Amino acid sequence: MIVLHTIWDNTKLHIWAESSELAATAASSRRTKQHTRQHPFALAREALLEPVGQLSGSLLVKSTGSGTLSIRIPSTSKGPLPSPELIIEKENEDLSTAGFEQWNILTLTLDAHTALDFLLSLPNDLPHGIAFGSSLRFWSEVAKFSFELITRQCFVPTMQETRQNGAIVYRAAWEVVLAGDDEERMHLLSTVMPSVCLAFLPPGEKKTSVPHESVLNFLNAVTDAFVRESLSSITLIPARRNRTTRNVPLPEQWLQALSSDDPKLTASAEDLKSFSTGMRSWLTQIRPVDQDAPFRTCFRLDAPSEDEHSSDWHINFLLQANDDRSLLVPSERVWKERSSTLTFLKRKFENPQERLLADLGKATRLFPAIEESLKTARPMELSLNTEQAYAFLRESAPLLEQSGFGVLVPPWWSKRTARLGVKLKVKPKAGAQESSGLLGLKGIVAYDWTIAVGDTTLTISEFEKLVNLKVPLIQVRGQWVELRPEEIEAAIAFFKKKQGNGNMALGEALRIGLGQEASEVGLPVMDIEGEGWIKDLLAKLTEGVKLSTIETPPTFHGKLRPYQVKGVSWLAFLKQFGFGACLADDMGLGKTIELITLLLHDRAGQNGNSERGPALLICPMSIVGNWHKELTRFAPSLRVMIHHGHERLAGEAFAEEAKRHDVVITTYSLALRDKEHLAPIDWEYVVVDEAQNIKNEAAKQTQAIKKLNARYKIALTGTPVENRLSELWSIMEFLNPGYLGSATEFRKKFAIPIERYREKDRAETLKRLIQPFVLRRLKTDKAIIADLPEKMEMKVFCNLTQEQASLYEAVVKEMLEQIEESEGIQRRGLVLSTLLKLKQICNHPAQFVADGSSLPDRSGKLARLQEMLEEVLAAGDKALIFTQFAEMGTLLRHYLQETLGCEVLFLHGGIPKKQRDMMIQRFQQERRGPPIFILSLKAGGVGLNLTAANHVFHFDRWWNPAVENQATDRAFRIGQKRNVQVHKFLCVGTLEERIDMMIEKKKGLAESIVGSGENWLTEMSTDELKELFALSREAVGE
Amino acid sequence: MGRWRDDYDDWGYYEPSHPIRVQGGIKTKKEHGQIGETWWSKRWIAVLESFNMGTRLTRGRSYARQGQVISIDVEPGMVQAKVQGSQPKPYKVEIRFKTLSDQDWENVTEAMASQAIFAAKLLAGEMPKNIEEAFGAVKLSLFPTALKELETSCSCPDWANPCKHIAAVYYLLAERFDEDPFLIFKLRGRTKEQIIEVLREKRAATLPAESASPSTSESSTGAENSALLEERLDTFWQAGEALDTFAVKPGVPEIDKAILKRLGNAPFAIGNQNIATLLSKAYSVIEAAALQKGEK
Repeated sequence: MIVLHTIWDNTKLHIWAESSELAATAASSRRTKQHTRQHPFALAREALLEPVGQLSGSLLVKSTGSGTLSIRIPSTSKGPLPSPELIIEKENEDLSTAGFEQWNILTLTLDAHTALDFLLSLPNDLPHGIAFGSSLRFWSEVAKFSFELITRQCFVPTMQETRQNGAIVYRAAWEVVLAGDDEERMHLLSTVMPSVCLAFLPPGEKKTSVPHESVLNFLNAVTDAFVRESLSSITLIPARRNRTTRNVPLPEQWLQALSSDDPKLTASAEDLKSFSTGMRSWLTQIRPVDQDAPFRTCFRLDAPSEDEHSSDWHINFLLQANDDRSLLVPSERVWKERSSTLTFLKRKFENPQERLLADLGKATRLFPAIEESLKTARPMELSLNTEQAYAFLRESAPLLEQSGFGVLVPPWWSKRTARLGVKLKVKPKAGAQESSGLLGLKGIVAYDWTIAVGDTTLTISEFEKLVNLKVPLIQVRGQWVELRPEEIEAAIAFFKKKQGNGNMALGEALRIGLGQEASEVGLPVMDIEGEGWIKDLLAKLTEGVKLSTIETPPTFHGKLRPYQVKGVSWLAFLKQFGFGACLADDMGLGKTIELITLLLHDRAGQNGNSERGPALLICPMSIVGNWHKELTRFAPSLRVMIHHGHERLAGEAFAEEAKRHDVVITTYSLALRDKEHLAPIDWEYVVVDEAQNIKNEAAKQTQAIKKLNARYKIALTGTPVENRLSELWSIMEFLNPGYLGSATEFRKKFAIPIERYREKDRAETLKRLIQPFVLRRLKTDKAIIADLPEKMEMKVFCNLTQEQASLYEAVVKEMLEQIEESEGIQRRGLVLSTLLKLKQICNHPAQFVADGSSLPDRSGKLARLQEMLEEVLAAGDKALIFTQFAEMGTLLRHYLQETLGCEVLFLHGGIPKKQRDMMIQRFQQERRGPPIFILSLKAGGVGLNLTAANHVFHFDRWWNPAVENQATDRAFRIGQKRNVQVHKFLCVGTLEERIDMMIEKKKGLAESIVGSGENWLTEMSTDELKELFALSREAVGE
Repeated sequence: MGRWRDDYDDWGYYEPSHPIRVQGGIKTKKEHGQIGETWWSKRWIAVLESFNMGTRLTRGRSYARQGQVISIDVEPGMVQAKVQGSQPKPYKVEIRFKTLSDQDWENVTEAMASQAIFAAKLLAGEMPKNIEEAFGAVKLSLFPTALKELETSCSCPDWANPCKHIAAVYYLLAERFDEDPFLIFKLRGRTKEQIIEVLREKRAATLPAESASPSTSESSTGAENSALLEERLDTFWQAGEALDTFAVKPGVPEIDKAILKRLGNAPFAIGNQNIATLLSKAYSVIEAAALQKGEK
């Protein structure tokens, strides 16, 4: 893996990277003393091009330059220490000798404009093997900030003076303008800057920058670059004949220089100085009023009071304390003061009159009406008519605020209700069936738009009356409301054209109502209201009105926890309306049995009606076996068919067979490969488990699944979908096509604002939109915790891959051939060694063959482990993984570090005590420490305290419940504050499953039989062994 | 003898004069069009142009545009300048103002104290628009209204006064007024600070002098506060936690072109368009370019 870092050197952005591969080789060849002082595991420049291109496209790569930097970073005598993002074995580092040392690195350089492009284009999901260092994350946030400032027009043209060879050089440049919140945000960024960002000397400087300067420099540089680029194709100078190129007057030169590549101004020194002085004095106007002063001038707007019979608005002039904004001194008090210091509520205000006067003078430019009040000797307030008050609210108030003045406006102004809006009323379509049956989001409903002001609905004639008042602020039933001219026009046009009613899809109505988008009317949507059964539906969907609880069907063999009953009821409710549902409960909460219960509930309500087709369950290969087991266990009445393997049916035969079953289980890859067999069938359900598998919209697999014929669609996933927006969109598109708009619309409207900019409003809107269709409960929810036992043990049934199955069968065949001719110790040895081999194969072919071959896609267990760990990490949990094979631990560690991109610890017998203690400490205490801890059963099974973990995985089995429980108790012990989930891995149809069954059956038997490990197996007869070892058909995934 | 005659061009039948060109002279900001951007400098020019100087005025304007004026010094009550004519030695130009008597100033400031706007605008660094009203109220004038209020002299051989050299200086002064409107006070015998001081006293508050004018030093926000990052081994690579939740919201500004609105008109123009007006196009173009980029 590589970790990318960036450094801003005040003119350009340097990209460099650490490489774990180079770190590994560097570690082995450390003897080569560092004559060069070249950073030993920084990537070479050419090697940097590939990841950078992967992130931002080849176009950007073309505009990179090359550079070198000398950076001062923490190092030991052995060399530089890696950044924490670089996952390498670093347990052996002795940090006691660490200090700062200088290292040379090679970099790719980007000019300010390209730097902005690069930093803004960084994807949310990182490609495999690339991680971002803190410096890159930092500059990418600063880039987003500068981008926001540009869109908000927070920049100003300036004159910069720099000294070059004794002479002053004048340049036209653009700079950011930071005021109020923006200044605080800028300060916040300066305080979170990681030290590594400044671990170099800027060109021509003798000391490193300070964070504040560095951030400001970056903001100015990228703003200047972006603005110039945007202006390159236009001219700001009015067209004129006879333009001479010589002696261009400075104002013209300046405008030209602001929009071209050449920022320099040329004229006589005298002219330049005079121009620059004039420019500077002009620009001081936007400098906020002195913020270091203890108080500032504040303008308070009051609406006409009801008891006075005047329609005048008033602006009062006040002094406001800067450190306590609630402390306001009326101007009357200021004028009465005869000394230079005003004391008010024990607070001292120096020279209050000067301050007030200077501020009022400045404010008149922003709100000219103030000038009228200044015609008195002691101005205190200002009367305004409604239009003026509106102008103040709409434009002057924000301008005054930006200029550093205090502004107090009536509270209703900022409220959404103080606006003209529309309400959407949705009702069943005339003549439609009372019970909607299978409506779905595409079902057509009738709608009515009404104009509303706050909570008040207006008729058209009432609305027209208000409009005819021709004032921008009106009072409707005692409440002030803003009437924007453009909105009035929109409303009038809408009513002229449409009368405001018609038919629309239910999904669209929901989207408008929940998303509260500006409607087709061009006015904000205030509310959605339903009539008839739609009212009931809306209440249940969006307002959390309790759903009726279903009875657990008698055919269900087990017991549902209360929240599980709720989950099933919710699924049944959505199904009733034909809506697709996404059940996204945390791992371990029992999504599987909730779905099984739903299927049983359905069959119960079916009353022998066999019209309905089977349910198709699509899941990853690694859990086909698990589904089969769970279905058999909890719903023995359901007829389950597994569609996989070489001998699976096709065409007509498949259709016939499928119809004879209640549930058909297949895998994602077969959903694509066998699409022509699956497509013709009218599925009652299509259920996708581990629904993140359809996150890639463009994938053929996703396309094939979306095309399947299904009356109902359900998605199950344990990952937090609301945080992975492209995944969320694709899942919703499967469940309720069109509801979230096209992929492009969705990206523009939600994915970019939420993921790139962390916009809270958009995230809230999206949450409202999906909330009716996504049920996600966390194991940390209070209501859930109460229902959960402190320790949950689950068996995780995995399938073998074809490769595993072939190896397994070969080993079994070989053994059975030999075992006939052997006896005694030799036979025992043979049985035990076979057992060992088979367990290795079940774990992973690479463990059995031990050839260092690649790991992906060759083991069902590994695939399942990876899927489950992804959910563990997504939830911010930590996990222990036990294996009895040290070599498997090593394989797992490397594989998981690479695929999950986090550090994984591995404790085995060869680790010295000191280091072991260090690992335990890091796992237990570091907030961002390694989240996964692999332990060999022998080295880590006893004694340790690892309560930071709340998941325990037993990757392979010891067949001794006592040993396994002891291992589990590393996490499940005093100090554990959460529920612990224990996942015991088994390969279905193999000896693992059979031994497990035997132990379950013999639970009552004396420990002595099974307690001593696996020796009892050697006593079995050959026939028994044959049966034990034989591979059944269901074992293989595909 | 052309050496003499080219300075008599008002007589009309001589060859146009060819003054010796000046390197690095003071030029008007604009090559064409009106000189003077603000109302007060326009007011100043209007006074000059009301003197009916004929072609000396236009000649003076081109002198100002060409940069024939070598230096201008503004003293209380007087302007001294050097203008390069056709003789090797530059001419000395002096414009003396009739300064107001202490009593006149007393009357004017008394009038100014009756309305807060004068102090307010002066404190905000602007020339109050109705300043002439305050002067008029006590039968005085801030800007010279007649030739006799100005005493002008030039060392050139032209017997006409004002001559084109004086006119050139006059034009350039207009631009000085654009940059610093309070020069006119200085020429009338009081500095801005003195006036503010008097106004303060008139408000019956005995306040000590203090500078409420906007500071012209560079922005210093936070630069001193944030000390050098400490070189700490364990936190060297760490970003502050708040980085993970730093939110941005690109979008249209609350008020379109707020910066330009806050700046007001610039003391510079191209043709008859103020620079601020010309810049407004830039803001729209840039915002559109940025929003478009944001959707990618």
